[in-house]
Amino acid sequence: MTGAADTDLPGGWEAAAAEYVLGLLAEDEVSAFERRLAQDRDLEQDVAAWQEYFATLTAPIEDVAAPPQVLRRLEAQLFGRARRSLVGQIMPYLLGAVTAGAIAWTVNVSGLLGFDDDPDLWADLETPSRGLVLLAHYAPSSQTFMVRRDAGDYPEGRSLEIWMIPEAGDTPVSIGLVAQDGLTEIPVSDEIAAQLPGAGIAISDEPEGGSPTGQATGPVISLGQMAPRDE
Amino acid sequence: MSTSHIEIEDLISRIAMGDRTAFRTLYGRTSAKLFGVCLRVLDDRALAEEALQEAYAKIWTRAGQYRVNGYSPMTWLITLARNTAVDRRRARDAGGRRRTSPIDAADLIADPAPGAAQQAEARGEARALHLCMSELPPERAEMVRRAYLDGATYAELADATGTKLNTVRTWLRRSLMQLRECLSR
Repeated sequence: MTGAADTDLPGGWEAAAAEYVLGLLAEDEVSAFERRLAQDRDLEQDVAAWQEYFATLTAPIEDVAAPPQVLRRLEAQLFGRARRSLVGQIMPYLLGAVTAGAIAWTVNVSGLLGFDDDPDLWADLETPSRGLVLLAHYAPSSQTFMVRRDAGDYPEGRSLEIWMIPEAGDTPVSIGLVAQDGLTEIPVSDEIAAQLPGAGIAISDEPEGGSPTGQATGPVISLGQMAPRDE
Repeated sequence: MSTSHIEIEDLISRIAMGDRTAFRTLYGRTSAKLFGVCLRVLDDRALAEEALQEAYAKIWTRAGQYRVNGYSPMTWLITLARNTAVDRRRARDAGGRRRTSPIDAADLIADPAPGAAQQAEARGEARALHLCMSELPPERAEMVRRAYLDGATYAELADATGTKLNTVRTWLRRSLMQLRECLSR
């Protein structure tokens, strides 16, 4: 037996249970403790109780909205790049030759399949000086934010970053980067999803990989507002 | 048992079956809390983002190991996130970036405890722990807090109190037993 339940230390296994939850045991002590834990129900209950009590120390910690790229990376890590929503599957076929009618068709297909009643949202994002035409589309059914590039070139060695401005004067929140090729598809968190209706969407020109500071550093090249479309 | 308690357990059990929608719903519900915890432990946004991602990856793969034990499912999530963040903090600090500010009993007494109103709203376990921690000498309670919220090791606690490691450990284990005794009253 190693130090965890040493007789010269007060508390025996019971104190070791608290040390285990606090992460204070040395590696060899952890192994010895876990061997014991596997066959001692009282000790298991002690560990569960300590976890419950100590977790309450986090109660005063303020919630902080996680930046959207975390969910994006997480889903890419767990589910791979193949994750495709229904709308995501349809959208590429519409690329380049899209009409208002075709967009309405997409919306209707989503509707027919019985997804949420929340309307899809759209914003035109145009930068005449660069000949850049982007269309932002948010699909509540898959909680996915999409951007399609209809015209113009992606700036070389730079990244286009998408920002949500919930209300005028609010600090912009990064949604992610416009993909260099193809359709941009970004799963968004509940917090962002809830704020998207009517929100402003800005595109800024950033160093490759996106703003290093978490706030837009480059020029804002276009601005639009997310709103439903009838047709 | 609160509605959110049941809902979160339901989400975890659906995640155990590989339900991605449930996973995203759980993320939407709980990530702000867990990100706050990771930030608190790591005090660094980039590392906290990595820890958060790793914590949810663990939630996805370990959801099947979650056992309903009458305690809050948030505890399971918080414990996973906290432990992940602590591991990252220790890996970082092993590179020499250790910050240990001294534990000074006089400062701790002046340090205002969470407000009475907040305590009144707190759940039973939070209230009990707060009460029992306040029965410990302030510097011992601070050691427990630092161990949990900063992931401080015995070596760091020894530094922070200017005491030998074995002495700190003896003190802290006595205090933990005192805490256990108080909590089981």
